[in-house]
Amino acid sequence: MSTQTIDLTLKVWRQHKNNPRGSLETYPAKGISTDMSFLEMLDVVNEQLTAEGIEPIAFDHDCREGICGMCGAVVNGRAHGHMPETTLCQLHMRHFKNGDTIVIEPWRARAFPVIKDLVVDRNALDKIIQAGGYISINAGGPQDGNAIPVPRDNAEKAFNAAACIGCGACVAACPNASAMLFAGAKISHLALLPQGRPEAKKRALSMVRAMDTLGFGNCSNEAECEAECPKGISIREIARMNREFIKAALS
Amino acid sequence: MTLESKIPAGPLQDKWDRHRFELKLVNPANKKKFNIIVVGTGLAGASAAATLAELGYNVKNFCIQDSPRRAHSIAAQGGINAAKNYANDGDSIWRLFYDTVKGGDFRAREANVYRLAQLSVNIIDQCVAQGVPFAREYGGLLDNRSFGGAQVSRTFYAKGQTGQQLLLGAYSSLMRQVNAGKVEILPRREMLDVVLVDGKARGIVVRNLVTGELESHSAHAVVLATGGYGNAYFLSTNAMSSNVTAAYRCYKKGAHFANPCFTQIHPTCIPVHGTYQSKLTLMSESLRNDGRVWVPKEPGDNRPPGQIPESERDYYLERKYPSFGNLVPRDVASRNAKEQCDMGKGVGETGLAVYLDFADAIARDGRDVIAGKYGNLFEMYEKITGEDPYQTPMKIYPAVHYTMGGLWVDYNLMTTIDGLFALGEANFSDHGANRLGASALMQGLADGYFIIPYTIGGYLAGTKLPEVDASAPEFAESRSQIQSQVDKLLSVSGKRTVADFHRTLGNILWDYCGIAKEEESLKKAKQMIAELRAEFWENVTVPGDAADFNQALENAGRVADFMEFGELMVTDALERKESCGCHFNTAYQTEDHEALRDDDNYCHVSVWQYTGADSDPVLHTEPLEFENVELTQRSYK
Amino acid sequence: MNWFAQNISTAIGKKLLMAVTGFGFVGFILMHLAGNLSFYFGKDAFLKYVETLHTLDPIIVVVELVLLALAVIHVSTGTILFFQNRRARTTRYAVNKTAGGRTIGSRTMPYTGFLILLFVILHLSQFHFIDHAVQTPWDAAVDTFNNGLFALIYMAAVILVGIHIRHGFWSLFQTLGLNNEKYMPLIQTIGIVIAVAAAVGFFFVPVYIRAVI
Repeated sequence: MSTQTIDLTLKVWRQHKNNPRGSLETYPAKGISTDMSFLEMLDVVNEQLTAEGIEPIAFDHDCREGICGMCGAVVNGRAHGHMPETTLCQLHMRHFKNGDTIVIEPWRARAFPVIKDLVVDRNALDKIIQAGGYISINAGGPQDGNAIPVPRDNAEKAFNAAACIGCGACVAACPNASAMLFAGAKISHLALLPQGRPEAKKRALSMVRAMDTLGFGNCSNEAECEAECPKGISIREIARMNREFIKAALS
Repeated sequence: MTLESKIPAGPLQDKWDRHRFELKLVNPANKKKFNIIVVGTGLAGASAAATLAELGYNVKNFCIQDSPRRAHSIAAQGGINAAKNYANDGDSIWRLFYDTVKGGDFRAREANVYRLAQLSVNIIDQCVAQGVPFAREYGGLLDNRSFGGAQVSRTFYAKGQTGQQLLLGAYSSLMRQVNAGKVEILPRREMLDVVLVDGKARGIVVRNLVTGELESHSAHAVVLATGGYGNAYFLSTNAMSSNVTAAYRCYKKGAHFANPCFTQIHPTCIPVHGTYQSKLTLMSESLRNDGRVWVPKEPGDNRPPGQIPESERDYYLERKYPSFGNLVPRDVASRNAKEQCDMGKGVGETGLAVYLDFADAIARDGRDVIAGKYGNLFEMYEKITGEDPYQTPMKIYPAVHYTMGGLWVDYNLMTTIDGLFALGEANFSDHGANRLGASALMQGLADGYFIIPYTIGGYLAGTKLPEVDASAPEFAESRSQIQSQVDKLLSVSGKRTVADFHRTLGNILWDYCGIAKEEESLKKAKQMIAELRAEFWENVTVPGDAADFNQALENAGRVADFMEFGELMVTDALERKESCGCHFNTAYQTEDHEALRDDDNYCHVSVWQYTGADSDPVLHTEPLEFENVELTQRSYK
Repeated sequence: MNWFAQNISTAIGKKLLMAVTGFGFVGFILMHLAGNLSFYFGKDAFLKYVETLHTLDPIIVVVELVLLALAVIHVSTGTILFFQNRRARTTRYAVNKTAGGRTIGSRTMPYTGFLILLFVILHLSQFHFIDHAVQTPWDAAVDTFNNGLFALIYMAAVILVGIHIRHGFWSLFQTLGLNNEKYMPLIQTIGIVIAVAAAVGFFFVPVYIRAVI
């Protein structure tokens, strides 16, 4: 590792009260260390903008270690940038070249209205979970944790589906702004575990309906979501959701 | 005033049962008449909000992020302890209790810790029933591992994402209650004040982070689960929005603050690599099971690690602690790393790192075995640093990770303000002066699922609470105070950004109130922070306006509180003239450089009462009585 | 039937309609292709095939009605999905790059579908809705393909059909929930084989006619 600095040109989506329709604005980003994360680069640009009396770029972020799912933007046409299985906070500037122009846009979907600049409202994802992404048990006296054995393979598959961080990159990357990977991951996670079976039917039907009413698009099996998912969640989870839905609808 | 811990009488094992029986109950039909505010949606907050709603209370649950699922509990990697003894290796509730008390260097309450160990068992059952995909063995039963130097395998885990899976479990229960209409989620809200009516917590004022509006919310009780204050150090493993503001503003309203100087510094983090750095990333300490820690023997040796021959390397942990070697506890490992770097033996561009070398492990077990154990961690390291740990040794350095201090609470988790409860990392908790690995998740969930649902009932049933709504004058007063602070922040229009002030504050705290402390430097730090605080109010620049989504303004308020709070941390560190757990004052150490406790004078909780912005806080103490364990000196030789 | 209407109108319900009807078309195309292969054996062979087909007339009528129903469902559902999907993203990206998931087939599904619909209408008007007493199917083919423009249109259209099947075939299994690490590669391969067979098999009919007849 040798630290270098590069100069970039940013074209950033700016949208707020005074510019309700939004537009791409150009800012220079000079002397960017290649060891910086993408968000640290934006921090540096924001410090600069503040010094120049320009309002800093609003962007969502929190844990900055790729697990909270809060950050995300479309960078040069790619959700979370061009590196595979990487959230924006874990995308490092060593993957860019001196002189690059970087276009940064918010997640775009009717279900994710822009709040300001790169910040969008992803409340719709919570609403999908509210429609049934849970097991209806109260805190209190469940049976012993080891009372129901779960095949290791199923536990692992359930884990892989449950690894979703709810960032919304699947919706952003989907040509149809569909939330099927998100919903499929949760339906799969719970369908694979014996604890989740009693409510499997109700869950599949109501979560799928919720997606429709929230204004997400339909899946056309383009697999862009799978390719952009920072946690590598597979479209097989969508297939499993379809299966659960069919089972539920026909019985 | 006297601090009433309200620890029930009777033998340790029976205290919680007895207390549950003695607590008054709220009639089931009356529960729906009570409104409860829960601030925070991490493990403690989400589990509390969901469980209270299940019982029938009306809950308003606030979070600072866009969704309750983002709370920083999500980043916990290693696992969650529970005294299940599934591994049949001699674990028991008593052993978990003892390990936790001893690990905390005897600065936690026996009764609380014992209750925590008891409840640990129920937590696992609850989480499994929720569908948390814990790791399993081939027979389909739950897998356990030994973690953080524990001698029994009691840690349940879900790959390196245990916190995420537990949080999503609590979040799913919470979403179920939202769907049932019992919980209202208010995301993108920052709590800026607790509102007291007749001396009792009756609501909060929050800033709507989208519109900038100050909103008042009333309730019969307020539950705070707003996490720790590690971000006072600017760089820490905490999330960017983790802050002390909610807890600190409660402190200003009369909730006393306990042990603010107890900060855990985690030894295995990716080192700082530039001034622009915004946060530090933790690498699971399981890496020390196979990695060997070393520095060059000669200070200032700049050769790449591969060119430094074996004879010129100092495996200092193995040399100094022959029986524990690289597996010494977190605080010991952190202190030693700093010591080596202070001697000029640190490596990397900044000289603030030590090597964690897997070459021997790879030669011994083969690359595949090492990849199987740590593959995802190695990938994460490479992603961040651009270096391949299979080829060159990792560079690590300690970083602020967890704060054991917090709002003082009694056995019911109620603060010194009636009706204000604190859960999880926000309270001063059960970890004493040092938290063991895989115990934070346990505590957050115990508080939320199994303690607050009982104790809040006792409070509500036994207290006269006349109806109060958000139109009460106390709310308006609070709003106008907040508004004037916001206006002040926006009107300074100075030269330095908020982040710049925060960085300076962090450096002061890290240098003088960090891994190792000294009386003189602490005094100096106090002075420096006071000066910085004065400069802040004259020279800060906060762009944008109040009635808008304004992240700079959010941060400005948080940093303003961190500065006042930083002084409190230093004050507390100065007052505690001993070393214990993570609090290490170089004047108090054993011959082996271990923390030397002074049980005669400091076997107590230091509890601070706010007296005003420019006057020193008043110290109260809660003596810690140990009836069931013997106080011993730790040794890892 | 309330449950049916409710479920079929969801996102997955509509996809299922596309999958099931699409599967019907794949079956039809394979039959059609098998029949048309007789073309390469000359006029007599072809007309004999046509004659054999006509002995099954009552069944043919049923099949035709089924195909019409499938077409109505496939086209109308596809149209609804197309517009719903467009509406799901009101503001487009300034820069849009694929992450590697999309294929030419998946990207162009609605457009190839629409063009195929136009082609089918043309094809039916030239081959189906004609007086077979006046013009045998063989003559119709010869007449049509001797027109260079029509030959080109038909050759282009069957390539579109191949592209449409390339994405549609594995896709219908995915929609039906039949995606598994073990057998998905096989399904993908079968899809490609069918797509290529259909495109190649039909493509050379005009070529053959123009070159040989």
